[in-house]
Amino acid sequence: MQSQTPEEIAGLDIRYSYLTDAPALREWLYDPQVQRWFPVAEEKEIEDAIQCWIGFSRYSSSLTATLDKGATICGIATLFLMPYRKVSHHCLFKMVVDPKYQHQGIGTSLLKNLKHLAKNYFHLEMMHIEVFDKNPFIHLLHKQDFHEFARQDKFVKDKGEYHARILYESYL
Amino acid sequence: MSSTHLTFRFASHEDAPYLTEWLTEPSILRWFPMYDAREIDDAVRIWISYSRLHACLTAEWDDIPCAIANLYIQPFRKLAHTCLFSIIVRKDMRGKGIGKALIEELMKLAKMKFHIEILHLEVYEGNPAKKLYERLGFVEFGFHKKFIKEEDGYLGKFFMQKVL
Repeated sequence: MQSQTPEEIAGLDIRYSYLTDAPALREWLYDPQVQRWFPVAEEKEIEDAIQCWIGFSRYSSSLTATLDKGATICGIATLFLMPYRKVSHHCLFKMVVDPKYQHQGIGTSLLKNLKHLAKNYFHLEMMHIEVFDKNPFIHLLHKQDFHEFARQDKFVKDKGEYHARILYESYL
Repeated sequence: MSSTHLTFRFASHEDAPYLTEWLTEPSILRWFPMYDAREIDDAVRIWISYSRLHACLTAEWDDIPCAIANLYIQPFRKLAHTCLFSIIVRKDMRGKGIGKALIEELMKLAKMKFHIEILHLEVYEGNPAKKLYERLGFVEFGFHKKFIKEEDGYLGKFFMQKVL
């Protein structure tokens, strides 16, 4: 698929996701460092979220980043394509990078490739993401030309504390 | 509005044909993301599935269904104190205060049964219902430009919420 070559990261490859990438997603979503930025908290929630998320690999709208000649999965980014025609010109996306491999440019490379896929293969005009306040991923969104278009305070209630959700969008 | 005409009950799967009929009306469908019969059927199936949770109310005027409103109960514990809702009022029953009364009933249900703290909605640019939401105390927290794409252009979507 590769259009934005991640040449600056040794050994990084980006391919379409497979249903068999689900265990990597599962491992990350059970990791408290990752889970805090997602709505999931319990086993059933995580399993349902994984089924929905990785299910988009059937439409080739999900990308997986790998290292070590494909042996290590280090990130997944997915376009949640809209099911209705009047809204099919844009979509929500989700992305996660293995905490062991963060801050190495993998997220940047995945996001660039996902934007390319969205624009050139699915002919999307915009893509958006919902993040929780203080998520370090927001820094990357700003660098990749995303802008905030909605902020809902107290959307998340976790361990007695409230957090806002922020919606960011980029025109493609 | 005469309260003797208007009653509320929990919706059931048997209300699905009413939803389908009302959504098929072009002047109503324009305020929803669906486009054709297949998409309407899909949306009605999802919508009415919440009746199992008793999260969906039907308003009846002289025992005939005239409006339905739904709480999309969150599947995630971290978000369970918030809820998106949607409402539809039969075209020929507008202007009788049915929408306002049904939303007020839905807010009571949200707060008392589901312990919802924040109720939110999504409404497209130009939809006259936005004024009703404002009167009921909903406030904007975002705007998604170009959310809807139709033959004659784009429509944005407002996000609104009310703390219960």
